[in-house]
Amino acid sequence: MTETATPTPLEAPVPAAARPVSVVLDGLGKRFPVRRGWMQMMRHPRRIAYTPVLQNVSAEVYEGEFFGLLGPNGAGKTTLFKILATLVLPDAGTASIAGFDIIQEAPRVRRVLAPVIADERSLYWRLSARENLELYGVLQGLDRRAAGERADDLLRVVGLDDTGIKIVASFSSGMKQRLLIARALIGGPRVLLLDEPTRSLDPISARQFRAFLREEIAGRQKCTVLLATHNTEEALELCDRVAVLDHGRMLATGTAARLARENGDERYRLWMRDPRQPGIAALVERGVARDVEVRGVDDDGWSILEMEIPGGPDRAAQVLAFLTEQNIPISRFERVTLSLADLIQRIVERQDRSEAADA
Amino acid sequence: MRECWALIVASWKTALSYRLSMAFSLVSLIVGIVPVYFVARALQTTMAKSIELQGGEYFAFLLIGMVALTFIMTAVNAIPGVITSGIATGTLEALLSTRASLPELVSGLIGYNFMWTGLRSLVMLAAGLALGVHLVWGAWLPTLFIMALIVLAYLPFGIFAAALQLAFRTAGPLPSAVLVASSFLGGVYYPTHVMPSWLPRLSDAIPLTYGLRALRMTLLEGIPFTAVIPDVATLIGFVLFLTALSLFALTEALHYARRSGTLAQY
Repeated sequence: MTETATPTPLEAPVPAAARPVSVVLDGLGKRFPVRRGWMQMMRHPRRIAYTPVLQNVSAEVYEGEFFGLLGPNGAGKTTLFKILATLVLPDAGTASIAGFDIIQEAPRVRRVLAPVIADERSLYWRLSARENLELYGVLQGLDRRAAGERADDLLRVVGLDDTGIKIVASFSSGMKQRLLIARALIGGPRVLLLDEPTRSLDPISARQFRAFLREEIAGRQKCTVLLATHNTEEALELCDRVAVLDHGRMLATGTAARLARENGDERYRLWMRDPRQPGIAALVERGVARDVEVRGVDDDGWSILEMEIPGGPDRAAQVLAFLTEQNIPISRFERVTLSLADLIQRIVERQDRSEAADA
Repeated sequence: MRECWALIVASWKTALSYRLSMAFSLVSLIVGIVPVYFVARALQTTMAKSIELQGGEYFAFLLIGMVALTFIMTAVNAIPGVITSGIATGTLEALLSTRASLPELVSGLIGYNFMWTGLRSLVMLAAGLALGVHLVWGAWLPTLFIMALIVLAYLPFGIFAAALQLAFRTAGPLPSAVLVASSFLGGVYYPTHVMPSWLPRLSDAIPLTYGLRALRMTLLEGIPFTAVIPDVATLIGFVLFLTALSLFALTEALHYARRSGTLAQY
């Protein structure tokens, strides 16, 4: 993915292995009117306020890539998916799927893209799994026989071949999620949209389901997958690259590891007997360390300190040497590994700070 | 067509899985006809004069009115009904994301409702025949044609309601208003000319008035089709005008729903 119309220092480089581009988002924007009370509507019928849901979102996703969209609730992930699925029209910008414009060529887009609607109720519960797949196979343009054969194949793929003739109402949530995936795959899509696919699964089923997505969907079916999630484990486990979306803005893009490195590399944790050592204060005074926090005491009575040491690992090594020279006992010293949740928070805070500074 | 049929089959299988409910529905129809028969017999002398050009038998008159009403209820309610349930369950979003076109999807989704209504109508007619109703069997072709026109004249109201449903999440009082007006002013229970002098003017604006009159004259009186052509022509006028208007409304509603993000939004 090359990057956005709102470039940031976190911009990811174009991957060296230039695969064909599958999904292009170009300055997409969407706003929704704010709901008003009757009184307000009567008083000011023309004064309509809008909430921006997507702002100038641009990106490119390559064929066969597993691309994650991360962000808190209300970030704009679902709206972006609905725009790509041709269910919502954008107010600004454009997007294309496998070369087809989502506005001008919506029917063609629906031939190559399938959203996985995670709502189990969207299945026909009184029909069997096979009948559900057959129905959607026909709706996707297959004849009845081909739809039946494809349904059997997919039931095998999602591990439901032995329960395919049972009605969906008797399925567990995990089985229904697999069936929803199979339904999306019945038309042989090239791009798959997954919106929080594991939200209704228990942790073990969710892990199994993620393994299935990685091995089957990305590995064997070679689908380009856009995954919207706020589950950090899911994003780390599945995605080649992730984009952080907040308040409709795409703040950063890159591999999860790269973003974490760029945002969390400078924070270190050390274990010492007395956190009020003058050596620490000296480091802060000299500007070598900042944001020093005591995070608690471990079981052996060592205080845990966290601090930011700008300048990379070399500077961190110098800090450690300095503290040792000061005869400050340190039992452990390590770089803080950021969780993705912390990472998102940091990226959002960083963006806010940058905007405040600009203002 | 294949897509349409697949959806009808899916709805049929779903309905068939509730066998008891299906059986109760049919039995209640048969049982419901019996009191209508006795009420009609009691009123036969009073009504005979006013319906002499439409068969003269009040029970047969009522039966045809009720069958037509069943069809227009389906025509008005089916499309907004499937849209509402599709939105609530998420099936609409899933269906709209497929390659099938909107007309194919809508026809498929309401196809089962019409087949079921057809079956219910046959049961009602069979019960009526068992209770002594005389029909002109030779007029089955014009009867089907007129009945199809009645349905086509009322389908646009369903499309209007669906457009409102898509755009504003409610069809408001439109379906009920159409059905109440049609059943009381369209000649379902009594001929329109027995109403107070100013009311027949209102009933002139209701498609069912023309459809039912033509239907009864053909099926109960055995009058040749050429004699009911004025009513049929008016009905065709309603069909063309209302269909064009309703399709325009649906197109606008779809565009509005896509723009405002309410399409398939719960």
